[in-house]
Amino acid sequence: MRIIALLLLVLCALDAQVPVAPSPDLAGEPRGENVQNYNIVNSFETGYRYGTVGGNIEQYRSSVNYGDGIRLLGSSLLVNSKDGHGRLFDHISLSTQGLGNDPYESVALSIQKNRMYRYDMGWRQNDYFNPGLVTAGGGGQHLLDTQNRMQDHNLTLFPQSNLKFFAGFSANSQSGPGYSSIQLFDGTGNIFPLFSNVRRVWREYRLGNEFRVFGIRVNWTHGWEDFKDDTGATLATGGVPGATPSEPVPAGLNSFHASDPNHGTNPYWRAAIFADRELFHLNGRFTYSGGRNAFVVDESAQASSPARIQNVVTLGNADRPVATGNLNLSFTPTSKLTIANSTSVHNVRTLGDSFFAQFDSQTQTTTALFYNYLGIRTVANDTNLNYQVSPLWGFMAGYHYSNRLIIFQKQFTFAGATSSDPAEQSNQLRAGEVGVRFAPWKPLSVLLGAEIGANSHPFTPIAGADYHALSGRVQYRVKTFRLAAAVNADYNSNSVSLTSYAAQSRTYSASGSWTPRDGFTLDAGFSRAHTYTIGGIAYFLDQQLLQNQSSIYLSNINSLYVSVRYEIRRRIDVYAGYTGVQDLGDGRGTATAGVGSAPALFQAVQTFPVAFQSPMARVSVKINGKLRWNAGYQYYAYRQDFTSLLGYRANTGYTSLSFSF
Amino acid sequence: MCLLAALETVLVFVGFRFGLLFALICGSGCIAHAQTSRFVSNDLCKTCHSAIWNAFYKNPHFKSVASGKEPPESTGCQGCHGPAGNHIDNGGGKDTIRAFSVLPAAQVLDACLRCHSQTLSRANIRASQHTLNGMACTSCHSIHRARSVAGLLKKPQTALCEECHTDVRAQFAMPFKHRVEEGVISCTDCHNPHGSFAPTWKMASRPHQVDQAMANEEPCLKCHADKRGPFVFEHLGVRVDGCETCHAPHGSTNSRLLLRPVVFTLCLECHNGAGNFGRQGKGIPTQTSAHNMADPRYQNCTACHVRIHGSNADSNLLR
Repeated sequence: MRIIALLLLVLCALDAQVPVAPSPDLAGEPRGENVQNYNIVNSFETGYRYGTVGGNIEQYRSSVNYGDGIRLLGSSLLVNSKDGHGRLFDHISLSTQGLGNDPYESVALSIQKNRMYRYDMGWRQNDYFNPGLVTAGGGGQHLLDTQNRMQDHNLTLFPQSNLKFFAGFSANSQSGPGYSSIQLFDGTGNIFPLFSNVRRVWREYRLGNEFRVFGIRVNWTHGWEDFKDDTGATLATGGVPGATPSEPVPAGLNSFHASDPNHGTNPYWRAAIFADRELFHLNGRFTYSGGRNAFVVDESAQASSPARIQNVVTLGNADRPVATGNLNLSFTPTSKLTIANSTSVHNVRTLGDSFFAQFDSQTQTTTALFYNYLGIRTVANDTNLNYQVSPLWGFMAGYHYSNRLIIFQKQFTFAGATSSDPAEQSNQLRAGEVGVRFAPWKPLSVLLGAEIGANSHPFTPIAGADYHALSGRVQYRVKTFRLAAAVNADYNSNSVSLTSYAAQSRTYSASGSWTPRDGFTLDAGFSRAHTYTIGGIAYFLDQQLLQNQSSIYLSNINSLYVSVRYEIRRRIDVYAGYTGVQDLGDGRGTATAGVGSAPALFQAVQTFPVAFQSPMARVSVKINGKLRWNAGYQYYAYRQDFTSLLGYRANTGYTSLSFSF
Repeated sequence: MCLLAALETVLVFVGFRFGLLFALICGSGCIAHAQTSRFVSNDLCKTCHSAIWNAFYKNPHFKSVASGKEPPESTGCQGCHGPAGNHIDNGGGKDTIRAFSVLPAAQVLDACLRCHSQTLSRANIRASQHTLNGMACTSCHSIHRARSVAGLLKKPQTALCEECHTDVRAQFAMPFKHRVEEGVISCTDCHNPHGSFAPTWKMASRPHQVDQAMANEEPCLKCHADKRGPFVFEHLGVRVDGCETCHAPHGSTNSRLLLRPVVFTLCLECHNGAGNFGRQGKGIPTQTSAHNMADPRYQNCTACHVRIHGSNADSNLLR
């Protein structure tokens, strides 16, 4: 029984094609060792990972990023007390991935003592590299080579009682070098590259309590968040001009320095209530947070040819109080029928002052005071009915209504005169959805769904206005075989008198899994995503405004994966897999001709054929009941048809030993 | 209680036993039927289900057994499977006990929510898309054959979600994506599979089961805290309709998960001055005449508008 369960677990782990390492195979049967009153199950995999890259290494670092070195590829520790009465703890689980020097590292820890406490911890580190945005001419801006670290700690006291206490801490930091840009000295000035040292930290502290009164459970949390961004910027290379050295402004900078500290706090309260009765269930959540951000921007630039000095100081603060409320009520008059209603209120106000002072050797001193207010109040109500007519079929229906009010206030004080520019708009969304599900016999299930909705006043031309969505899913599943297919289609029309916007996207997907016997699994899947949008645009060419132009974007993405696992004599495990993604674009082979509106500019960039593929293979040999040797290889190839310089090929692999008991 | 269960109760009271027959007629497995049985000692279950019992101390549900203070309906095997009297009398069988493999989804949900309903993460479960599409707790969770200790999932979380969401799996295979397959983040960092509160951004085409950060904000801001603000000069489209106005959150063939291969097409589709959109209902402003789109420098909007997510110092998001 245990062996069958273990095999099932291993097979399941192979279902998705994740990076070639760590290996999902366990070295042996994880029965564990008994030590005093505890059972301990432990496994770890350590080995060497390598990678060689050809082509654009920055693009590789952006999307794959595995390098050379020894790693603790993965580990797991599970300790359980056998009677649930351990002295200090009853359960410990610890799992790690990629520790050592992988770009993606994580640790998860959970310790519990029944009825007394529960502590959960998560830690993650992500090496984030981005070569910058792709532009029409290649290259890019805003390079980042940073590390993100995230951690969460949660402690619950008396987790099984009606009186619980919570404490928590979370932190998120980003640090490392970045490469940015700034535009000086006026609206048509040059763009200068900047080096920045990214330093951002966000922390959250939480305290809370849960108790029960009159059969209603009440849960509250008070938290404090603080955020610091102390990223500064200096000139990357002295006097490098921007893209238009012919502009009548200094072509180069002699010196530049920017300091942009930005510190914020966000204390919040959250309360929730829960009440369950035989026929109805009620719960509510109410939150209030008072975000505040204080900032200073101190910027100085000095240029020659012609000589120019510019100092800018901006300071102020921004507040964002947010109040929310949610109330959910569901009735279950019979075991077949559920009616659920949800009401939400969300009120957010963002308001802030920004004092601006600029000294410019050419335009002299300028001061101004800005005040902005943005208030968004949304009230939403959802009602859903879910009825299981018989074991063979059931249906659902729902209606959604949202009302959003946006209030703006834009105020500007300059040379003693104040101008104010208030505005207000409201928007209602009404949407309905229906769905039917069939299960004509146990292995087969069919789902069909549709949603139609209308927005009275969408905020942007690309937002959903008159939209509808259709979906279908069918699945056939028996013990050794699963076959599923799904289709989703979304249509949106957001047309007004001067312009039109229409978008359609359709996704078709199918996947299957076959496990005819222990030790053999075949998985495969295919997905096709078609996106077609047409939007009205207006822009300037040599100071001439071009209106009533159309921007047409077409994308056809095919994605395929297939994997097979075969076990030889319960000792050698062989796995091979392939993942391929291809965006065919609009089908053209060059960047300069094809569909689209008149401007060649848009025809050139509105489709971007790319191809990405990654075959892999892995072998795992059982040395004894506790030890396994693993080796694997994965190839990555990325190609952009219109900008060949951005392509790369990479050979990666690993060899490792897995130990478990 | 269904009528057949009520009738059966009366017949049992006068000495007749038609448990199996009535359970079959009513579609098998209604909770009322199980309740007509009686509770027995949980030790009796070990006789036949020894493999499950011997490893059950590793299960989070063992807590209630270990406490020794819970009533029979709230602990051990019968805490979930209901009274086992009939099951033992009949020598086993799925029709004589609450067997989750044959229960309708709604009844599985009811059985699990008896203990698991009163948490914030499951506050919306009865109206969640998963529930409305006929999924039950046991579609994803396996109490006795779980792959993951946390959450008792049938498979590792990513594989489990991607088994049905094949289209999303394809997005995570794209050249630019969030690192889900690599294990650095998981689906539940952004989504709540048990249903979420109504999103307060992007009114139409409401995102399904997206878990909010504090104050109903988009989950993106949990990690991308520097985009959160508040800013004196907000990029209104971001604040009103959310990050998905410009980004594809799962994966994209375009750099930085953008919806378009180059930046200026993305910007110009909103900044076209058309219709009654935008702050004042006069259209979202077009660029000024100084922007000559034939010049490559103006095609790189974010080379100058570096604070595209919001700024404290410049209304045009230049610094």
